[in-house]
Formats: sequence, C-alpha cells, structure tokens
Amino acid sequence: MDNTSIFQMKTKVKNPFINAMKQIADHQDKSSFKMIFDYFGPRLKSFLMSSGAEESVAEEVVQETMCVVWTKADYYDPKMASPSTWIYTIARNKKIDILRKSRKAVLENIDTAILPPIIPRLEEDIEHDQKFEVINRYLDELPKEQLALLKMNFIEEKSHGEIAEITKIPLGTIKSRIRLAMEKIRERIEKDKEKPNLNNNVRSIN
Amino acid sequence: MINLMTQPSVTAARLLFQQCVAASSQEGSSLEFIRNEISGYLIEKVEPVKLHQNVWKKTLDSISSSKKVRKEMILDPFYNNLPLVLQEFLSNKKVKWKNFSDVKIAKLTPSSETDKLELIHVMPGGSIPQHTHEGIENFLVLHGSYSDEYGTYTEGSLQTRDEDHDHKPIGHPLTGCIGLAYTDGKIKFSGKFSKILNFFTN
Repeated sequence: MDNTSIFQMKTKVKNPFINAMKQIADHQDKSSFKMIFDYFGPRLKSFLMSSGAEESVAEEVVQETMCVVWTKADYYDPKMASPSTWIYTIARNKKIDILRKSRKAVLENIDTAILPPIIPRLEEDIEHDQKFEVINRYLDELPKEQLALLKMNFIEEKSHGEIAEITKIPLGTIKSRIRLAMEKIRERIEKDKEKPNLNNNVRSIN
Repeated sequence: MINLMTQPSVTAARLLFQQCVAASSQEGSSLEFIRNEISGYLIEKVEPVKLHQNVWKKTLDSISSSKKVRKEMILDPFYNNLPLVLQEFLSNKKVKWKNFSDVKIAKLTPSSETDKLELIHVMPGGSIPQHTHEGIENFLVLHGSYSDEYGTYTEGSLQTRDEDHDHKPIGHPLTGCIGLAYTDGKIKFSGKFSKILNFFTN
C-alpha cells in the first residue's frame, strides 16, 4: 500500500489503524501488529533521527515503542487521539528517557495519550472524528513553508530561536506563525462544533 | 500559555509540566490536543527510514516476554488532587520532601538536568519567604489557591515569573495550595534569612 492510498482511506473512510489497534487489543492479532510496525516503525525511526538520535538509539526506541503498542493496546481510545498521535507520544516519551544524560529512566511508564484527562478534552458534544478531520483538512491546505515550521517545531523539536536561525525568518514571525496555525485550528474546531452534526450515522469506530 | 505549549518537549521536566498544564485547564488541554494531532499528522508525512531486519525480531522477542500490567494508583487524598499524569509519574518513585515551617517542597526531576520541576505544598495560611527568580519560573496551581503582591490564583491558573517579580506567596487559609513549579534558572530569596535559605535550597 503506498502513502497516498493510506491518506485517502484516512480522510474518506476511516483510519485503518484504528481497526488494527482494536484487533491487537481484543485478539492479540500479530498480523495487525505487523501492519502497524511496518508502517510506523520506519516513520518513527525517521522522526527520532531528525530530532537528534543516533541510528542504533532510534531503533531501540522504535522497538520499545512497539512493545508498548502491543502491551497497552487496550488503553488506546480512538476518541482521544488518532493512532499516529498515540504512537508518536509513546515514542517521544521513550526518546526523552533514552537521551537523558543520566540514563536513568524518568518517564518510563508514562504513556501520555493513554491517560484519561481530569477534565474532558475540548467539549464533549463534538464528534471526535470530525475534530481529526478538521485538523487534517487544515494541515492539507497549509502552504508548504508553514508546514515546514510546524515540522521543525514539533517533530524535529527545535526551539523557536533555532528555527529562526535556520530559516533566517525573524523570531517574532516564527512565533506568530506557529501561534496562528494553532489558533486557526482551534477556531475551526469550535466552528465545526456549532454546525449540526449530519455524520452521526456514518461514524463507525467499533 | 501558547508559548509554553509550543516549546519542544526535550526534557522530562518540561514535558511533564506541559502535560500537567494540559490536564488542569481547558485552554491547555485544547492546545495539547491540537499540538499532538499536528505531530501525528506530520509523523505520517515524514520520509520513512528503513529499519534493520532484526528490529522486528527483537520486538517479537520482547513482547513474548512482557506481561500486561495495570498499575495500582496510590490511594492517598493528597495525591488524588494531582493530575493523573503526575500521579502516574509519582507512583514509580519515592519522593523526598524538604520540610520548611509553612511549606514542603519535593524535587521531581534529577538535579543533573538543566531545568527542574518541583511540587510545592503551601500549608493553609502558610507563606513562602519573599523571593525573586533567576531565569523564568512557570507556576501551575493544582489544588487550592494562593495570593501574592500581584493577585490571587486558583486551580488551573498558570503564572510566569522572572527576576522582575519579587513576591511573598501566601496559601489559602483553609485549603492551602499545591502547585507545580517549572524553572529554567534558580530562585533567589530576597528577604530576612535569605542567605541561609539560598544556601539550603540551591
């Protein structure tokens, strides 16, 4: 399956990885696990190396992350995060631990996206599928240069100052562009919430 | 808040602090959700880098030896006031509290790091001696409230303080205050006994 077909499936029908996560949680299904491993493993390795990890460390983190995906699959809740986000947050925590100077794990067992928040994330009356779609659509339409800033900030984990140095764009502009993207998304989610929900009958997570 | 939430989570202290901010306020939670989903979107768009063949095999080996575990949460009314992510974090380790007359302070991250995270428990009506800050301190109120020269702060509120702020926080007379402080520099006491306090805390 090439990239485009997966993205089309993601926006048009439902995310195939949601079902794979369920198969792992309910039936310890190794073929679903392999599908997730094959798709996300090389992407996580890429993310880890672009945020400064050596190849061997990156692979160690991939292995540990996938191990958590397997053992904690039943904690995954498609209403809280898309599969890629959930897997990414696990890898990010593992990476922080592994790259720490003292090498003594601090975040070891914290898998953020697994934990329910104390207060509901955003308002509960909005369909979560819609929220993910709003975010995807917004990012799909974003000019490449803007997307590149977000990528440096969140994936390569560079500070606003470092990004300014690399891109030669003034620091203030960097800050306001990132802020604007976040605020626009929030606005659109809010706006979407006000519309009557016509998609109730096509929502199919289980 | 948006500045804090768009800083890269490169240290354990900062990540935990960001997560606690997200768990304690609507704005924080919505920013964290959006930020994580942007990351998830971007992860799918990165150029994949091939894994060595043995990674899959190693993964299979490690899942066959790992057990599914659900951890027990600590049953302690003090801990129940904290965001789950912090409860989970604390359940893994012994926290050493430093006791002062009106306040208890627990260092949550190792001192080898450049930044630090501390849990601060101000007793009801208790106060923290007058102090200023070196670097920037972000303080998140997790339970109860406190007041200082600049205002009164309740659960879920976040204050950013630097060397220009010289203050003496006082815990709410009934509830006291539990808060989380994330600092990139040291705090510096400025009032009576400050020499001795600076010696003990830094």
